[in-house]
Amino acid sequence: MRAQKVLELQQQSQKCSVGCPVLDRCLGGGIPCNSVTELVGESGVGKTQLCLQLVISAQLPPSLGGLSASSIFIHTEFPFPFRRLRQLSRAFLASHPDLLDPCDRVFLRAVHSAADLLALIPIIETFLLHSPSPVRIIVIDSIAALFRSDFDNTGSDLRRRSSLFFRISGGLRRLAKRFGIAVVVTNQVVDFMGDGDVRVGNLGNGLYSSGRRVCAALGLAWAHCVNSRLFFCRDDNEKSRRMSVVFAPHLPHSSCEYVIKGEGLFGQETTSV
Amino acid sequence: MEVGMLPISSSKRGKLLAAGYTTLDAIARVSPTHLARDIDVSDGEALEILNLATKASALERPNGTHSAVVGGGQTAWDMLNDEKFSSYITTSCVDLDNILGGGIKCTEVTEIGGVPGIGKTQIGIQLAVNVQIPREYGGLGGKAIYIDTEGSFMVERVQQVAEACIEDMAEYSHHFHKDFQTCDVKMHHNNIFENIFYFRVCSYTEQIALINYLDKFVTENKDVKIIVVDSVTFHFRQDFDDMPLRTRLLGEMALNLMKLAKRFCLAVVMLNQVTTKCIEGSFQLTLALGDSWSHSCTNRIILFWNGNERYAFIDKSPSLKAASAPYSVTTRGIRNSTSSCKRIKMM
Repeated sequence: MRAQKVLELQQQSQKCSVGCPVLDRCLGGGIPCNSVTELVGESGVGKTQLCLQLVISAQLPPSLGGLSASSIFIHTEFPFPFRRLRQLSRAFLASHPDLLDPCDRVFLRAVHSAADLLALIPIIETFLLHSPSPVRIIVIDSIAALFRSDFDNTGSDLRRRSSLFFRISGGLRRLAKRFGIAVVVTNQVVDFMGDGDVRVGNLGNGLYSSGRRVCAALGLAWAHCVNSRLFFCRDDNEKSRRMSVVFAPHLPHSSCEYVIKGEGLFGQETTSV
Repeated sequence: MEVGMLPISSSKRGKLLAAGYTTLDAIARVSPTHLARDIDVSDGEALEILNLATKASALERPNGTHSAVVGGGQTAWDMLNDEKFSSYITTSCVDLDNILGGGIKCTEVTEIGGVPGIGKTQIGIQLAVNVQIPREYGGLGGKAIYIDTEGSFMVERVQQVAEACIEDMAEYSHHFHKDFQTCDVKMHHNNIFENIFYFRVCSYTEQIALINYLDKFVTENKDVKIIVVDSVTFHFRQDFDDMPLRTRLLGEMALNLMKLAKRFCLAVVMLNQVTTKCIEGSFQLTLALGDSWSHSCTNRIILFWNGNERYAFIDKSPSLKAASAPYSVTTRGIRNSTSSCKRIKMM
């Protein structure tokens, strides 16, 4: 083990564009490498959309904000939205005709349980060592689905569950460090139940989505397992959607409205706070 | 070592002795302005004397240890005297410094814990920068070791904090040392980067190995004045079925850190996570790693939300009284909470 002087580290941690300049600005350049970023939001708010867009824009050369790299997409919710990926990649090819078909550079894997995911991490490690093209993005969509059914609400089960959280997160962080990968996990929300819950992060008056007060699923232990957490919500009337930074070591609290179009997810300039 | 040994002119030596400065330690413990006033020389000359004195006294103690500690005997009176002159690392938040008696104390192990997003890493980064504030500005002029177990250390954030810190120093020197050209802020954030030793640790075995190796590392890099472990907890919440083993490993690690703190007169800051604990049927927040762990640090600070403000609470300390203070995390780093600033302005 060797001390690194901070001077020798990269002056700015490498970021991967999410494919929209407005959202990138809100995120200080994009999703950071060597780090685990969590996207939280209720279903249909656009988490998966953003993940798909990320794996595509990761293939851009660094001059355009990407990493020139392939991605691994681990999905736990079925079916995988092939058609949407196809649609996004056509739009991508139209604007960047010199690059390969993005679908060729996304590796898919379905996972059915938390134990599967844990067992998959060393497999990914070997894969990354021998992969012909660099892989710099790992997406897990969603982590919550793996944990929401298999565990009872008893002390021993909860303990087993949080131990799994820390092992999975430890494995992901090790991969992120070793290969300079940006890890993105998506998480669901649960309704906020009274005062029993602990306030996590910046949004003082709680997280609101579709008029309900919610909080991220999987509880406090999992919140310690990610480096940054982004919250996605939409309004009652479903007209406006908003992305907010709940916590991140490198970002102040900020938020940004966005819309979902055929070509992907786009931030709205006007209302950034 | 006596003042007589210093390579300075005999008139200055005479002035020093006349003012009561007989030992090098006594000189090393005053600020340059104080010294200048006491012996009636210019600030620049006083600084020169001070530098010579600190160098000479460092030479005298090659291991950085007090001879009395090695001998095993030290009276409470000596300890009280040492205590008076022990150094602190400012947190850049005046309210927080006040309840801590000046900042994070060297020679002690301080644990800081709180929920995700409360600013633990931010405090760690701020301390790693602040430890480098030169002596002329009331700092320690030391170096920092940052042990990152979670991957939350972001260089761009260090840069923001470092630049703000340099700006503050420039302002300070402008206000108080108008004629003090010699130490006009010549620091650049790259200097600050150069003095933070960063270790990224990926498993608990690495963490233990690293902490055992630090003894050697700090011997080689004497200026290290703070060790930040961010977080001490993460790897120890992963793979342990054998809880007694975990307790033993953690205890040994804490002991090693405590030894380092005492031996090299440096501050150790361990960041901890929180967990819920079931007390008589109701769930309460508490710092992770269990009850036995809470004995292993000298001071324990808990960070929490109160409304929309961040607060720090001294949960355990042998010398400080229980108190809490608000603070805020800004682009420039840890600062006083904005509402308390307003309060001061109104008064």
